[in-house]
Amino acid sequence: MNHALTLHGVTKRFGSFTAVSNLSLEVPKGCIYGFLGQNGAGKTTTIRMVMSIFHPDEGRISVLGHADAQEVKDRLGYLPEEKGLYKKMKTAEIVAYFGKLKGMDSRTANNKARELLTRYGLGDWLDKKCEAMSKGMGQKVQVLGSIIHEPELVILDEPFSGLDPVNRDTMRDIILDMKRQGRTVIFSTHGMEQAEQLCDYVMMIHKSKLQFAGTLSEIKKGRDLGIQLDYDGDGRVLAQLPGLSRINDNGKHAEIYLQVGTDPQRALRWLLDHVTVKRFDYREPSLHEIFVRTVDEANQKLTATAEAR
Amino acid sequence: MANKTLLVAQREYLENVRTKTFWIGILIVPLLIGAMVGATALLEKLKQVQRYTVVDLGPGDLLERAEREFRSGDAKLLFQLAAKATNDPRLAALQQKLGATGDGKEPSGEQLLAVFEWMQQQDPALLAKIADVQTAKQYTYVPIAELGITATEPDARLQQLNQRVQAGDVFGYFVLGADPEQTTSDFRYVSNNLTDGALRSAYENTLTRLVQKERIAKAGIPPKVAEHIQRRVEFQKLQVDATTGATTDVKNENVIDKWAPVGFVYFLWMAIFSIANLLLTSTIEEKGNRTIEVLLSSVSPHQLMQGKIWGIAATGLTIVGTWVGFGALSAWLAPMFLGDTSGGMIGALLTALRNGGYLFAFVVYFLGGYLLYAAVLVAIGSVCNTLKEAQNLMQPVMMILMVPLLAMMFIGQEPNGLVAKVLSFIPLFTPFAMMNRAGGPPQTWEYIATTILLIATIWFFMRAAGKVFRVGVLMTGNPPKLREILGWLRQS
Repeated sequence: MNHALTLHGVTKRFGSFTAVSNLSLEVPKGCIYGFLGQNGAGKTTTIRMVMSIFHPDEGRISVLGHADAQEVKDRLGYLPEEKGLYKKMKTAEIVAYFGKLKGMDSRTANNKARELLTRYGLGDWLDKKCEAMSKGMGQKVQVLGSIIHEPELVILDEPFSGLDPVNRDTMRDIILDMKRQGRTVIFSTHGMEQAEQLCDYVMMIHKSKLQFAGTLSEIKKGRDLGIQLDYDGDGRVLAQLPGLSRINDNGKHAEIYLQVGTDPQRALRWLLDHVTVKRFDYREPSLHEIFVRTVDEANQKLTATAEAR
Repeated sequence: MANKTLLVAQREYLENVRTKTFWIGILIVPLLIGAMVGATALLEKLKQVQRYTVVDLGPGDLLERAEREFRSGDAKLLFQLAAKATNDPRLAALQQKLGATGDGKEPSGEQLLAVFEWMQQQDPALLAKIADVQTAKQYTYVPIAELGITATEPDARLQQLNQRVQAGDVFGYFVLGADPEQTTSDFRYVSNNLTDGALRSAYENTLTRLVQKERIAKAGIPPKVAEHIQRRVEFQKLQVDATTGATTDVKNENVIDKWAPVGFVYFLWMAIFSIANLLLTSTIEEKGNRTIEVLLSSVSPHQLMQGKIWGIAATGLTIVGTWVGFGALSAWLAPMFLGDTSGGMIGALLTALRNGGYLFAFVVYFLGGYLLYAAVLVAIGSVCNTLKEAQNLMQPVMMILMVPLLAMMFIGQEPNGLVAKVLSFIPLFTPFAMMNRAGGPPQTWEYIATTILLIATIWFFMRAAGKVFRVGVLMTGNPPKLREILGWLRQS
């Protein structure tokens, strides 16, 4: 019972296509949990099953201790991947409407809607119509609509997509505030940095299958350490680093992995000779690196099995 | 449970009621009808008095007698008005001229002549003001002399008259033949506008009466006998009363019963179609702006669908209720502005509006028809992402909806005919057909049976719509094929 959500061997097929395959997962209460995966990996399908919008073909789901999310609908908050608002409704009205649909009484919902909007920087928009808002503002309004009833578990499907840095920070604050209040937040994202900074736990799905799940340190443990390098100069030369295994070069920053047995000190010396080194870190890999590597490995495995057949 | 449905319905209602379209929709119909009625009345008023002249080729005074006969209805009316005590100075003058007026109903020959003489001195426009003189209002006789006809030789005279017709000085002219007693084959009517035959037929009837009288006199038949011989056979109209089974007198209202339902069916059709369409657009919009998934995390698809259907039903009832209110109001107010409106479709509608039964039936059949078509349209809306996609699926629905419109006049004429009965028992047409038959009226058992059938079908359609809605509402991409939809229906 100290899990907000458990999935046990959950499978969902659409015709001949398997969207989610034998997925098992536990989300502890009070944490922030990140769902990672490429587009079409099965994140949204998983989330929709949790919300009882779809029903799994196999396996069991338990949400807040109940087998069916319908029973605990009013204790859940949900921001779908496809986000939209009623254009003609006023901002405060629509947030309050979502609250009322979750069983809040009219007056509480109205007051709470205004309070939330004001707290998160939309105080000037309370009585304006949704159609007048920018995309980012609309997204904030929607998130507020999904948490107005103080749900125990909030599921946000890509809450950060399409937001500018300021709105991103607001979104982050909303999520952190939720955690501070002891609620559980699950969100899916493509932004590895956000996941790394915010999440207590992450999991990754690739092509319907779970690749890893756990706390960040659990996931990073045992993986190759890598060089985090900030530099100036021509990055093309980095590819010639002796003992190089893999490199993620971003122009000003590069993530470098060495072959087993290569001394990082020697690499540093080489780098000093070839580029202007501004920062040199030898540490565990970033989530980004883990993600990309997992995708690569999984794809290789799939090709191998396909060829074996 | 029901609370959430109510919330959805409430939102749907408020959103609609707040738009301009809604108020335009509410007001446009009464305004249009008002404008239509007003325009008809105005056109009637603007219709020009038709000027005509008569050339009498015969030796006698047929022209004068024809003119008197033509205006005898007017004269009689004026006589009756003058016979009563009156404040109007002109009528008072006429009263004095007539002296004793007898019983005040049937003028003697001399009195009639006196009225004619008096009429000729009056301006027709003034006459129209003091009495409802139909002939004077519509037609003015202009003697040939006043038209400046100079020729005396008959052919040249007609030539000149033709020019007058062409110039528009007169609407037309009549030529009375030399010997009407023998033959009227040389009687002519010349006009540039032969489509408007009212003047010709009125004058024709007058001449027929006159000539017949003359022929009868010539043949030595006593006038009483002639009248007896000429009397037309007329059937007294009776109707079998629906409840007592006895025959009852049929008054004017029968015309009303025939036409009023047709008018009501027309409004019913417009209301059902436009308001069910509102549901279709609203469903597609909700899918289009992606609010549906958030909603479904709070309410079940069933609650959402029911909420939408009833929210828009409330919108529709508001519109229809306002129409009914306007209708009832205008039924009482119209006589003040329009005067006598008996006869014609508008008059019939107004009379029917004073009869609460029609209004009640209208509201009930609106609700029934709306719910039936709402189920179909909400299902269509749920599987489509754009209005364009919906249009394809709407085609069969439109075709079905054309049937009551096409049958409208036919059922109005034969409210208890086979077609009317068959259509009444097809639930898709029940609201329209039964409203259409209201003048019949159908028997009580028919009302009960068709209503039960309608309610059962609504229930069945709603269930089917619920199944389609549940799956369709989350679908993106191309709308499903009919076969797929039927597959969903078969699932529990």
